[in-house]
Amino acid sequence: MKKFVLHCIIGLIIVFILDFGIGKGLEYFYFKQTSGFQHRTTYSIEHTNEDILVFGSSRANHHYKTDVFEKKLNSTFYNTGRDGNFIFYQTAILRSVLKRYKPKLILYDFAGKFSYDEGDYDRLSSLLPYYKHHPEIRNIVDLRSPYEPFKNVSGIYPYNSTIGNIVIGNVNIEGMRTKANKGYVPLFGEWKDPIALHDTVKPYEADENKITVFKEFLDLCKQNKIPMIVVVSPIFYNYESDYSIALCKKLCDEEKVPFFDFTRNTDFLKAPYLFDDISHLNDDGATLFSDKVVDLVKGKLKNQ
Amino acid sequence: MLFNSFEFLLFFPIVAILYYLITPKYRWVFLLVASYYFYMNWQPIYAILIFTSTLVTYLCALKIDSTPVQSRKKAYLTASLIINLGILFLFKYYNFFNDSIFGLLNDWGIRMTLPNFDLLLPVGISFYTFQAVGYTIDVYRGDIKSEKHFGIYALFVSFFPQLVAGPIERAVNLLPQFKETKIFNYQQAVQGIKLMIWGYFMKIVVADRLAIYVNSVYGAPEYHSAITLIIATIFFAFQIYCDFAGYSNIAIGCAKIMGFDLMTNFRRPYFAQSCAEFWSRWHISLSTWFKDYVYIPLGGNRVGTSKNYRNILITFLVSGLWHGANWTYVIWGGLNGLYQVIFKILGISPKRKKEGSRFNLVYIGNLLLTFILISFSWIFFRANSLSDAITVIERMVTAPGGLFIGEKSSFAYSLFAIIVLMLKDAYDEFYPDGNLFFTSKVRTIRYLSYSIIIVIILLLGVFDGGQFIYFQF
Repeated sequence: MKKFVLHCIIGLIIVFILDFGIGKGLEYFYFKQTSGFQHRTTYSIEHTNEDILVFGSSRANHHYKTDVFEKKLNSTFYNTGRDGNFIFYQTAILRSVLKRYKPKLILYDFAGKFSYDEGDYDRLSSLLPYYKHHPEIRNIVDLRSPYEPFKNVSGIYPYNSTIGNIVIGNVNIEGMRTKANKGYVPLFGEWKDPIALHDTVKPYEADENKITVFKEFLDLCKQNKIPMIVVVSPIFYNYESDYSIALCKKLCDEEKVPFFDFTRNTDFLKAPYLFDDISHLNDDGATLFSDKVVDLVKGKLKNQ
Repeated sequence: MLFNSFEFLLFFPIVAILYYLITPKYRWVFLLVASYYFYMNWQPIYAILIFTSTLVTYLCALKIDSTPVQSRKKAYLTASLIINLGILFLFKYYNFFNDSIFGLLNDWGIRMTLPNFDLLLPVGISFYTFQAVGYTIDVYRGDIKSEKHFGIYALFVSFFPQLVAGPIERAVNLLPQFKETKIFNYQQAVQGIKLMIWGYFMKIVVADRLAIYVNSVYGAPEYHSAITLIIATIFFAFQIYCDFAGYSNIAIGCAKIMGFDLMTNFRRPYFAQSCAEFWSRWHISLSTWFKDYVYIPLGGNRVGTSKNYRNILITFLVSGLWHGANWTYVIWGGLNGLYQVIFKILGISPKRKKEGSRFNLVYIGNLLLTFILISFSWIFFRANSLSDAITVIERMVTAPGGLFIGEKSSFAYSLFAIIVLMLKDAYDEFYPDGNLFFTSKVRTIRYLSYSIIIVIILLLGVFDGGQFIYFQF
């Protein structure tokens, strides 16, 4: 038994050394990236200083065009949107931003649902590399499981499944990644199919965590006196009703946050050529949409 | 509790340490409590089903043993089978048969309905039911004596390493082990740890990684090209192997650390040279169960040719149904039975070549043909419905278009995982006495090899992969 325990300890020491060394290497190269979504998350959390910030998922990332906002509002702008990441991610980013400075305006692009979805918790893994050095985001990441503080003792775990992107982000192979302009990543496809009718999103039981975290986002802006607009950006499908959007509007109304829904805007519903796919505008669509949002922002700033 | 959960990584070392610290006389009590705790982490109420199955088979076996009258023995056996298989039927098959039979009657214009039950399928019900039923049949046949100690017998049915997904143990192998005083065995424990590490690699790095691609393709097969569907099917062949063999390795490893030997469940099945050989390497505990309790009682191969073919087909159809209450599983089972019959009719029965004469075209041809046939049958196993399976097959030969990659890095990790898996399997297959890496004579190399596997698990494992596929059976 003693021999077994001794050998287990030796094995654990070897694993610990490898884990520590490789973890440190991954950490170094992860934060050394100069392109890609991981670099943009790092920038969003640690370096943003722009006047206007956009928060959201892939729809935010591809819909809010930096040039339009910067030129027409004569302000600096950064798009923190990230594919497949919703309310939890956005609130974590906001917490980190507010530790450093107060933006002049926040645009929140609403997408997703308030219902429970295990995948939304799993995708919080995108914040694991920041867990050790950003205590402000920890209790959001801990929603993944109560064991996150223990798992993050490992050096490699926060960088699980990221090595491929870390390699690409460091070797800088030309053309491997679409260039982003202050977070905005353009899409250049053109949708050809006719518009379709999608299923109605009926009322459902909301995930309390999501409601709490979304309300926190609204509250943080309010407490810090940051003007905020919630927008649902265009889609290329018809629907009768969508409970998620209705609930989002209700929560915004309760907090007196301006809410604008573009999902039934006919300028977009009649123009498939402005879309890359039914949920994402292409670069032309993003230009037109950003123009419309700029008008809203001007109105909002004027009223203050 | 899942083997791939953080809870289990805490639970198992505590159980293993306490097991050796407790007086041997009371170890069975501790393991029994630990096993029920392990199971009750899912749906505590369903522990009643295990207990019922345990009680019924225990009492029936005692009665079978104690009565000299053959007809009474048979009556007790029948009672045990009816109650156990009845519970299994109610929870697993009732809705399926209800829908199928009344759907068919409806097609003929006869409108009849029976309400469906909204019951959650108890995890591992097919495994522990078969293990308990197998025990009763063994007692009836006189192969073993009935177990008098109810606690020990309850532990045999509920032993946590193999409770929810096997290996389906035989009483003759496992029951006596619970009565032995286990003294810690260094070699056995080391072997157990190695099996567990490799099992975790198979599950977390290979199976759960491949599942990402497979789920996205099989979730909407109508949108994917032929090449994508072929790749997804090949990926699924490796996913299902690693998911299940990974579980078995962890189960066998856990048991070994505590001094128990469970039967081998997988022996590198994709190195089989025929479908018959595949089934002697795949889910061995279930294959032998069906052989002993279904195929041989039907007459096995000691009957005429046509009856032998019938027996093979029946056995595989039942095996298909065992896997799930869906026509896709029945067809999967039937297809595998058909392969065996066709191979027999054509007289194809490749014998394993001896060392040195393996790497020839015939060997590789047989290996590839077997892999293709088995992978084809997996389409029915994986498809969400029969119509989806037909869509997959149709599009595999008609749909043009390029390969869907999905997330590039995840696809690359998938390929890497398969390569590592196959390299190890090939090495174990062709050089069973070799001493490279995991089996090196140099301890440092062995340590490093397993440490690197742990690092790969941390680096590329999918920690949100969820439960094992076979839990649903």
